[in-house]
Amino acid sequence: MTPQSIIPFGSSDWSAVVPMTIVALSALVVILADLTLPKHLRRPVVLGVAILALAIAGVVALGAWGHPVAAFGGAFVLGGFAIVFEEIVVVAAIFSLLLGSTLGREDQAGGAIALVLWSASGAMLMAGAANFMTIFLGLELLSLALYCLCGLSPRAGARESALKYLILSSTASGFLLYGMALIFGATGSVSLAAIAGPTISNALFDVGCGMFLIGLCFKLSLVPFHVWTPDVYEGAPLPVTAFMSVVTKAGTLAVLARFAYALAPLPQAHAILAPLWIVAAISMIVGNVAALAQTDIKRLLAYSGIAQLGYIVASMAGTSEQGLRYAIFYLGAYTFMNLGAFAVVALLSREREEGSRLATFAGLGYRQPVLAGAMTFFLLSLAGLPPTAGFTGKILILATDVNSGYAWLAVLLIVGTAISAYAYFKIVFAMYGRTTGAEIQRATKPASALPWVGVAICAVATLALGLYPILPSDIVPLVK
Amino acid sequence: MSVELTNYVTLSAVMFFIGVAGVIVRRNPLIVLMAIELMFNAANLALVAFSRAWVNNAGHIFVFLVVTVAAAEAAIGLAIVVAVFRRAKNVDLDEVAGMHG
Repeated sequence: MTPQSIIPFGSSDWSAVVPMTIVALSALVVILADLTLPKHLRRPVVLGVAILALAIAGVVALGAWGHPVAAFGGAFVLGGFAIVFEEIVVVAAIFSLLLGSTLGREDQAGGAIALVLWSASGAMLMAGAANFMTIFLGLELLSLALYCLCGLSPRAGARESALKYLILSSTASGFLLYGMALIFGATGSVSLAAIAGPTISNALFDVGCGMFLIGLCFKLSLVPFHVWTPDVYEGAPLPVTAFMSVVTKAGTLAVLARFAYALAPLPQAHAILAPLWIVAAISMIVGNVAALAQTDIKRLLAYSGIAQLGYIVASMAGTSEQGLRYAIFYLGAYTFMNLGAFAVVALLSREREEGSRLATFAGLGYRQPVLAGAMTFFLLSLAGLPPTAGFTGKILILATDVNSGYAWLAVLLIVGTAISAYAYFKIVFAMYGRTTGAEIQRATKPASALPWVGVAICAVATLALGLYPILPSDIVPLVK
Repeated sequence: MSVELTNYVTLSAVMFFIGVAGVIVRRNPLIVLMAIELMFNAANLALVAFSRAWVNNAGHIFVFLVVTVAAAEAAIGLAIVVAVFRRAKNVDLDEVAGMHG
């Protein structure tokens, strides 16, 4: 027996998974380094290895631009689409590590950072997954690592949030998996390419697609599958919340886009996908209305994220190429403005307490004008005001929704934006409004200065993407 | 006498909904974890049955993946339940703080 027949995959197959393999293997290096290095060196070395590995993975993935590869019999497709999502995951993971330089107890640092890396590699697998097995594997790799990360904080509520996330997210995985099984039953193939082909039973296929979409909506925390989001975001440690708010969404959006665009040629696609756009519309309104009442920034950003994900899914409503490009652009913008806001909260956090209460922001504009200015800028972007990436992204989504005949989504998007402005400006008023001396907290040194790097990069990126939107072509998801 | 494909699929659907009902109704996290396993195994049964009907091994391989993932999920789930119990001395989902999803 020749080696070829034992391993039926060539070097081009393996080269497609190099970026995520680098990330996954670096997690092992991190754990080994954590076990062997002297105590005072551990955290800096481990953090350095992790960030370096993510950066290398990002560069390697970018090197594959323009040469789409369908690896492992079409199970993993690395093309422009997958590369964009992998880059977003890599960037978000690096930022979370910058915020999370103090994540976990001293003896947990290596494990925590390894879990972040594994979780990121799962999201990278989802970015290129073109069959149900790789989708499921990527999703579970992402989720299983996150369950552990959620419970890492010593604060009360962290473990409860991990338990809640575990139970609800696993239930969603169950729906997703059962949907996959039914679609497999209808088409006889686990490949996403086969779902646009003939099926033996439309009922089986439609129910399967519905359950699959329910699972995805849950992971994207779209209304009415969003109830877990604020509690889990509040309970999890801040860097994990920041990671979760971008990486799980990016990975799941990649799967959703690939599924929706593979399904689009089918005659019944319109009926199967219609509930998805309605769910997106409800998310835009409910997310923003619920954000109004929040006094905790993490909860506020959770509801804001629900609405932002609604905007992104709404952009795909026409399943047009343009809509997908705008959705990806908005996801990129969301990544930077959202992580920027989390980085500001990280800088206000102290040893025992996270700076996520609204009261922490009282008078910030006078104590730390630069930080308050940055936060205002991120909030303006989240609210969608110029000259920010959030504004440009929303204009693009409005344009594509109107062009593809979903004007009602565009109208709801504007209504949602108007509501959200009040929620975000509440924080701005707290920072610059009149405060009594008692409310102003003494400025103390943050636990680490690394989040400043995150704030600076996010601010520049939010401004740059707003003034000069990069809309990569060649990003239609391939499923073959 | 042979067992038809529809019998398998019906059984798997029944198992799945027992699992869903268990997650919704039961408040003991251990039972809820079992209910989640039931949902996964319902999907496994459907996958194996469809795999045989289509004479396509992909479903069988998928089941191996799912079983492995479910084992990891159970391990992490039990670890988190133990961690919660150590702090709260209580594993009733209704009494765990903020647990109203």
